Amino acid sequence: MISTAFFRFARRIASVAGVFCILALPVAAQPLRIALTAPVNSLDPHVSALIQSDLSIASHLYAALITRGPDLALQGDAAESWKAEDDLNWRITLRPDLRFPNGEPLDAEAVKWNIERITAAQTRSRQKIYFDPIRTVTIISPTELRLTTSAPYPVLPAQLTTLYLMPPKWTAEGKAATDALGTGPYTLRSFTPGDRIVLAARPGYHGPRPNFEDVEVRMIAEPSVRAAALQAGELDFAVDLAPGDVTRLNASGRVRAGWSDSNRMMSLRFNTTKPPFDNKLLRQAVSHAIDRQAIAKAIFEGHSSIARCQLTSPMYFGFNPSLESTRYDPALAKRLIAASGVRGPIELELEVPLGRYLLSQEIAQVLAAQLEEIGIKVQLREMEFGAWIAKYNGGNLGASVYMGQGWPTLDADGLLGLYAPSNPVAYWKNDAFGAALDRGRASTDETKRREAYAEATRLMCDETPAAFLFTQPLIYATSPRVTWQVRGDDWVRAMDFRRR
Amino acid sequence: MIRFIFSRLLDSLVAIWGAVTIVFFVTRVLGDPAALLLPVGTPPEQLAAFRAQLGLDRPLLVQYGDFLLRCLQGDFGQSFQHARPAMEVVLERMPATMMLAGTAIVMGVAIGGILGLIAATRRGTVVELIVMVGALIGQATPLFWLGLMLILFFAVDLGWLPTGGYGEARHLVLPALCLSVFVAAAIARLFRSSVLEVLKDEHVRTARAKGLMPSTVLLWHVVRNALIPVVTMVGILTGELLGGSVVTETVFSWPGVGRLIVQAIETRDFPVVQAGISLVAFIFVSITLIVDLLYGILDPRIRRGR
Repeated sequence: MISTAFFRFARRIASVAGVFCILALPVAAQPLRIALTAPVNSLDPHVSALIQSDLSIASHLYAALITRGPDLALQGDAAESWKAEDDLNWRITLRPDLRFPNGEPLDAEAVKWNIERITAAQTRSRQKIYFDPIRTVTIISPTELRLTTSAPYPVLPAQLTTLYLMPPKWTAEGKAATDALGTGPYTLRSFTPGDRIVLAARPGYHGPRPNFEDVEVRMIAEPSVRAAALQAGELDFAVDLAPGDVTRLNASGRVRAGWSDSNRMMSLRFNTTKPPFDNKLLRQAVSHAIDRQAIAKAIFEGHSSIARCQLTSPMYFGFNPSLESTRYDPALAKRLIAASGVRGPIELELEVPLGRYLLSQEIAQVLAAQLEEIGIKVQLREMEFGAWIAKYNGGNLGASVYMGQGWPTLDADGLLGLYAPSNPVAYWKNDAFGAALDRGRASTDETKRREAYAEATRLMCDETPAAFLFTQPLIYATSPRVTWQVRGDDWVRAMDFRRR
Repeated sequence: MIRFIFSRLLDSLVAIWGAVTIVFFVTRVLGDPAALLLPVGTPPEQLAAFRAQLGLDRPLLVQYGDFLLRCLQGDFGQSFQHARPAMEVVLERMPATMMLAGTAIVMGVAIGGILGLIAATRRGTVVELIVMVGALIGQATPLFWLGLMLILFFAVDLGWLPTGGYGEARHLVLPALCLSVFVAAAIARLFRSSVLEVLKDEHVRTARAKGLMPSTVLLWHVVRNALIPVVTMVGILTGELLGGSVVTETVFSWPGVGRLIVQAIETRDFPVVQAGISLVAFIFVSITLIVDLLYGILDPRIRRGR
């Protein structure tokens, strides 16, 4: 009784103190406070390939040639324009008179140096593979350059969105892992590894001025703590919250939580090199036995888009709108099993990598239960993600896995390439599919490319190397004072926020 | 005494070498860092080239020999994730860990010590029951749950303290409180039983018979003698907490060594794991050494080797 009265009194004091604190701060001075889920390890934008943490921070500090706006369309950043001269040559025109804060020019020479650095072995860049296709960089003038690729590389503009431009002389001083000097919209105030990054709007930025002068980015690993920090009014934005928290957060009135689609497609992927799932009819049977709607409704409260029998979602270039979702039809599934010629009890080993995909254990259990209904016995194998990926890369995938796949360029080229016959970990070999992908890559003509991916996705739907399920939902929340232009491609940028 | 210190130092070096060696080989069994660092779908030749850049393509024993040689020079290699020297990455997290561990130990030992003494001197009363049940609950409560409850109550509900973070004194309160509950519970239970043990000793009876004040008997003849197991326990707890308390650090987003090492294990950042464990082993061994030397001060019989 006494304690209740005491806490009531304390709360009143705290709220009065809080009001004074708020009154003391002018509204404009309030920073935008964002939480990241993963720690930012290095500020050197060439080293990392992690979009949700390292590269998102880099996008505030450095300019890229091209960037992807919140509407997911490509737009010029340091580059004023770009165009394909033919299938191998790209001409890029830079904005004139761009300079790094230390006075170094951001010209064609600097761009060339950046491409050489990211592809150099000693940089140990995780992005090297994306820029290796660039064979030569020709400087035409200080603001004009030509990139020549060794083979047609139509996704180059999309790929250039992760190449952040660093000043050559400053980078040579060797401080780039913990400090930054770029031409992005923000400048670095402080970086406390494992805790937070403080940014301030950079005067003289060549693009539109961001809506928030000051930004504080915190690294909070625990979803429940991110939710608590939102409720406590410490944050303006967080992603990857627990699905169960959405209703509670909205009910609190202090937070606006919502769902959206991410760029990641969840699938039950088969190892088609191993019997009995080298049998197409059996794979189709599994796909028809899964009630995707029921799973999405029960586990994601309906906030997930059902796959249209393809790995791509409408967010991607190369999405095939003519394909329909696989029908849930257990009777058809049983007929397909009978027609497959596979006799005796059928067992399916389903690997479930842990800690990577939203509610993967729960979904795997529902999948197992649904498959049991058509007589397929599922053995769930839950494993730590690092151990699983080593197994997968080693060519030792079990009979199947529940996994999510996305590709940062939002182009079918990279995403479908995960199943290409030339890929040693495709676990599926289909030469017609490989030929379609090659056609998609051989040209920069969008119509020809769309036709190629329409063929590739149609083949994939029929052959079912994976039962495509649904997009992994993105769960996010904002404070009442800001709005976020929702984007499902993992980028977290202060520039995408507005004051309400 | 010098011989004692020298032999203990030698033991310590062997212990550190053992820990470092085990960590070296266990991390190599964990899996392939290239597979985790590079995008899914990277062709095998690119993976192999990346492994070669990290120096992981050489025979294991060559890697181990090279690692030991560099360790002796204080070079733990470049972190795969952080792109700078691994020991630098670990050392910059040390102040946060030391601050949290230090505060939690001081608070925990003070609270636990007082509660343990009260429980021992009020034997058989309700006070003892309350203290002991409290200590049992404190020891059995998962830190994760306790941390979240503290956050929900003090940060969300009352709004007094931040949910997490680092840098100001107010950030330290909740994680230190959370950890100190665990320390206090352990100390209270141990100190109580130790005091009860000493109270039965003949020298206490003699001291009382001499007509000494009860407080003098308690502080000078009982507490001092009952401290030895507590000092051992504090040493172990300090070593453990300086190795980072992963759960507390994670819940309170505290940038400590424990969380760093766990993240490094998850991402197979071998140099950071090795540098971190080496440092933790060094700290643990040093504290054990200090505790051993403290015994000598508390109990002259140990110093004289009797």
